[in-house]
Amino acid sequence: MALYGRARNTRLLVITLVMASLLIITVDYRGGQRGPFEVAGRATSTVVGAMQAGVSKVLHPIAAFVGGVAHIGSLKAENDQLRARVRQLEAQSGTTDSTQRVNDALLKLFSLQGTLNLRGVAARVIAESVGNFEWSVNIDKGSSRGVKLNMAVVMGDGLVGHVVEVASNTSKVELIIDPASAVAGRLANSGETGVVTGQKFRDLTMGLVSPDARIVPDEQVVTAGYQGGLYPPEIPIGVVSHTYEREGSIAKTIAIRPAVDFTSLEYVLVVFTKP
Amino acid sequence: MRRILAWAAVILVALVLQSTLFAQVKLAGVKPDLVYLVTIVLAFLEGPSSGALGGFVGGIAEDFLLNQPKGITALTLTLIGYAVGTIRQYIVSPSPILPVALVGVATFVGMLFNQLIAFLLGQAHVGMAYALRVALLSAAYNAVLTPFLFPVIRWVAEASRPRKVFRW
Repeated sequence: MALYGRARNTRLLVITLVMASLLIITVDYRGGQRGPFEVAGRATSTVVGAMQAGVSKVLHPIAAFVGGVAHIGSLKAENDQLRARVRQLEAQSGTTDSTQRVNDALLKLFSLQGTLNLRGVAARVIAESVGNFEWSVNIDKGSSRGVKLNMAVVMGDGLVGHVVEVASNTSKVELIIDPASAVAGRLANSGETGVVTGQKFRDLTMGLVSPDARIVPDEQVVTAGYQGGLYPPEIPIGVVSHTYEREGSIAKTIAIRPAVDFTSLEYVLVVFTKP
Repeated sequence: MRRILAWAAVILVALVLQSTLFAQVKLAGVKPDLVYLVTIVLAFLEGPSSGALGGFVGGIAEDFLLNQPKGITALTLTLIGYAVGTIRQYIVSPSPILPVALVGVATFVGMLFNQLIAFLLGQAHVGMAYALRVALLSAAYNAVLTPFLFPVIRWVAEASRPRKVFRW
């Protein structure tokens, strides 16, 4: 096995690289969105995004197959039940399952768009975040199709997140289940507002609710949509699943089951909100 | 030049696979971190300076795709690459378990270090318990993938090595 360089040169190299890393961290931390490394980051995102779009098209059926193999026990029972049902339905409809699913997803998007009078562009989810400590997805539309920073992203069932990074042909969407995300939410019945924060894949948490708010079980929670906020109003976030009562606390905390199934995101709508 | 292109391609492929294929096939909800795997194997095969440099470049590439301040993963992987390369110089066991064990331990330590730096910068949004669990599962997943990816990475290293080096 070949070894390059002597120990002293190596240490110098490593110290240089560590200094460079710390410098980059400082510059980027202070630079915010317009820092020099954000530009390079967008360039990388463009290249990687193009690869992800291609790869995800090919790999989706393979990955779904491998995922299915992992669940083979429970799938077998479900499979037998569904076979009978499918035979019955196929006789009735005569369309393939996949086009029907895509059709339904897009129809839901358009009906939500129509109900709430939202203008936007539909996009396909091509990849997840590369890290384990972030809850975000990459979509296949970017600034070339009019996507801008901080635009809201929705699905037929409800709110998905907002755009945090834009490249020319791809964008990154931070999901509302990310612990760093905070959405102004409103209880549909009483109109009381609070802040909805993500809890990874558990139910969302709505905090800062007025302690004398009356909460109905299974009450819907929608976006509050205050002036100058990120999200348009009246987009469904989820449904109340549990209320945490505490004697003498100054605010209530509510657990919310998200309306969107975040484990199977495929088609989303990027809403053209004014950032 | 060929080396740089070859390793850039390996890192790009690792990033794309991590975010597409392995996003669907998770171990208890956790993805592996293939950039850590590539860095550690590179350090294992090529020594501390190549490991540190490869870690820096791979870390920068991964940072560009993350929301946290750029440079944290670069710092982590530089140190991990250097550490693994240095340890490798002192352990001469030919056992195939060695790379697997190194990948597992180094990924675990690296992920925790990454979260520590993120915490110091006020960017850590998950608790310590979750970070520990993710680091452990990610290290296990990386270790499981090592026997399959090690020959591939070694082939890239050998094929792109400059011809002047003496081997014994």
